[in-house]
Amino acid sequence: MLDWLKNINKEYPEFYKEYLAKFSEKSNRYVMLSTETTGLNPKDDVVLTISAFAVVDDSILIGDNFEHILLQYKYFHDNKLSNEFIIESKMEKLSEPEAIEKFINYLGNAVIVGHHIDFDVEMINASLERLGCGRLKNEALDIDIMYRKLQDITDKEFSLVELSEAFKTPISDRNSSADDAYTIAVLFLKLKSRLRIK
Amino acid sequence: MNTIANNIADFLKEYAPFKYLSFDELAAIATNIRVLNLEVNKTLFKVDGPLHDVFYVVASGLVNLTVIVDAEENILNKCHEGAIFGLRPFFAKNNYTMTAKAREESILYAIPIAVFRPFVANNTDVLNFLLENFAVNTRNSKDKESLHNNQISDSVFYTGQTSEMQYFQTLSYNNNPITVSHSDTVQETAQLMAESKNTCAVICSNKIPLGIVTDSDMSSKIATGRFPVTTTIDKIMVYPVITVLENVSLAEAQLLMLKNNVSHLCVTQDGSDKSAVKGVISEHDLVVAQANNPGVLVKEIKRAHNVNDLKQIRFRLADLVQNSIQKNIPLTHVNNIASEITFALLKRAIELSILELGSPPARFAWLSIGSQGRKEQLLPTDQDSILIFEDVTPEKYREVKDYFLNLASKTTDLLEGVGYEACPNGHMAKNILWCKSLTDWMKQYNNWINTPGEHSGDLSSIFFDYELVYGEQKIEDAISSTVFQNMENNTLFFDFLGNDALRKNSPLTFFKNFNVEEEGSHKDKFDIKTKALMPLIDGARLFTLSFKVKGINNTYIRFKQLAMVDPKHAETYLECAEAFLVLSKIRTLEGIKNDNSGQFVNLEELSKIDRDKLKNALAPMRKLEDLIKDKFQLTHFS
Repeated sequence: MLDWLKNINKEYPEFYKEYLAKFSEKSNRYVMLSTETTGLNPKDDVVLTISAFAVVDDSILIGDNFEHILLQYKYFHDNKLSNEFIIESKMEKLSEPEAIEKFINYLGNAVIVGHHIDFDVEMINASLERLGCGRLKNEALDIDIMYRKLQDITDKEFSLVELSEAFKTPISDRNSSADDAYTIAVLFLKLKSRLRIK
Repeated sequence: MNTIANNIADFLKEYAPFKYLSFDELAAIATNIRVLNLEVNKTLFKVDGPLHDVFYVVASGLVNLTVIVDAEENILNKCHEGAIFGLRPFFAKNNYTMTAKAREESILYAIPIAVFRPFVANNTDVLNFLLENFAVNTRNSKDKESLHNNQISDSVFYTGQTSEMQYFQTLSYNNNPITVSHSDTVQETAQLMAESKNTCAVICSNKIPLGIVTDSDMSSKIATGRFPVTTTIDKIMVYPVITVLENVSLAEAQLLMLKNNVSHLCVTQDGSDKSAVKGVISEHDLVVAQANNPGVLVKEIKRAHNVNDLKQIRFRLADLVQNSIQKNIPLTHVNNIASEITFALLKRAIELSILELGSPPARFAWLSIGSQGRKEQLLPTDQDSILIFEDVTPEKYREVKDYFLNLASKTTDLLEGVGYEACPNGHMAKNILWCKSLTDWMKQYNNWINTPGEHSGDLSSIFFDYELVYGEQKIEDAISSTVFQNMENNTLFFDFLGNDALRKNSPLTFFKNFNVEEEGSHKDKFDIKTKALMPLIDGARLFTLSFKVKGINNTYIRFKQLAMVDPKHAETYLECAEAFLVLSKIRTLEGIKNDNSGQFVNLEELSKIDRDKLKNALAPMRKLEDLIKDKFQLTHFS
């Protein structure tokens, strides 16, 4: 129970301290986040890819993106899985500590937006913990919850595909976390203007 | 590595001018793109608004570009998926000359000018593409062809659109007139005019127009010897100058010239003679502008050689309809012109198919049915047609029928390519059911008329609105006489048609509100086609058939004709005729606005006055219904 006391003087890695320092200012940047993971358990499963786009001033900045595949050799080895798809992927490959550090630098103090974002945040938090860092401090928005608020629906959850259909946005046939992040970005713009979020 | 940038590059490479660039170049451009979402009716930029540092590509949705001419909003262009607009910052430093507004919720790619400029400079194809589309003062038909898939919609040197209803278009004119100072001699001025082949010169001081000298002044004042060529020009100039605003319409220019008895108008910055000269409109400009009229269009159809030629003409027809409607040209007029052009188009399509297949083995008639047959097709809706060929010996029948089926499917495919969608109910001549010999067709009509309801599955009343497009008039006459013979005292048939006409839902609720769609994707919109237009069309058909008024298919003219044949109820018929016009106009406007058939009208977008107009137009329907019930002794329950 007094764990936080133990941690109070704990020395965080340099990048995490810088990250914390960024929160002295408020950000107008939103970062759309989508991850691929090996499963749904934050404790045992690991993140395979992280994709993100930035939205500033109601527009998606295609160049301001983050797309990396994480080399989870240990997990694959432990679970006796093939890691072929990682090797074949054309995405940039980084080890988990490198990728997480890079992502934290990229993210900064932006507001995170995602679909069922609590899970993505939880997965990243687990990775951060393995690096001896604290948790993500960013505000997070969930487009599913935004949509339900807009429609006044409380008893139903919507998948990304359902949301896309509701807004008649074209659904990409390519299925990667980057495509998901882009879809989230488009939906977020639509929801943002409808909900009049500044 | 940026997956989405690659996806966007994939999208862009389908469209000019991007297709001239390599994938890597596109990916590099895509990396710098911003993606915007534009809600319905949101304005992206306005006339005279400051330039953005980007231009736009429509990723999905529809954006309308508009300008104001004669205090009315005119749609310049509709930007669909893949269209480029907002290129003005490339070429000019002053503000936008048009307004961009989302007609549907749209997603746009904003490409920074700074990023794209090097590609324009280094790639001649891209440069040429942009120049071709901007160096011309007016969009001519050729451009439209190259643009039909990918409209660059931004005529930077916009001086006027060549829309077909020329009287209301803005003019393109000489915006670089000869200006001289009042102390110049006549000879010097004449020299300048001769060199540049101009018919007039404006005398200015400090760019403010003082007077104007034209060819006729030269001939009447100099050539006659009244003044020597060494006089200063201000002695012979005409003043004050008649000045106009920049975006004057042809009609207005013509009126001004007539009123002031002048042959030239001076365009100034604010339209008064106290501001800088911007150009001169001559009579010749008016003549040029008028050269592009419906007659020319029909002539061009006759010369068309392939689908693309015809498609272009159809685009221009759409322009013509749109402009004339927006400018309040009487709808009957527009209807006539549009249907003449449509018919010429259909005819040419059949001719082209015959050219390909060889001459037909028997005489035949191609009839348009439905809205085309009624000559009410303002918006490109679907195509409905039937084909009747003369009777041949049984051994040849098969071969002949094969030929005509082939001809019909060629023609309908061609028309589909031109932009007339296939009829969802299959009411087309390429359908084996609707391509038959004359005897078979007579039997068919006999069956429909004498035993209605038995085969009601395939009886559609649109078969009674037919109009010959191509082929033998005699065949059509034969069908008409069969129809009218069989109708003699045939109460059963009229019962059937009458009930069919009455079956439509009432357009107004009990409380005199509009009966809007309650569910579906058109929720809260008013179905003007089934609830307002169809009852009138059905009613008109019913009465014309029963009064044996032959050869008239247009609903408006039918009502007019009925008023003469049946003077007792003339008032009702005339009211219906007017109502029909009002309703079709509302529908057409809605269709133009949304680029669809205009079947569902969004009432919230109508002004209060238009809504009242619509409501008033629905009133005569009640009377017409009563008349139907009365005349054919129908009650609601029969």
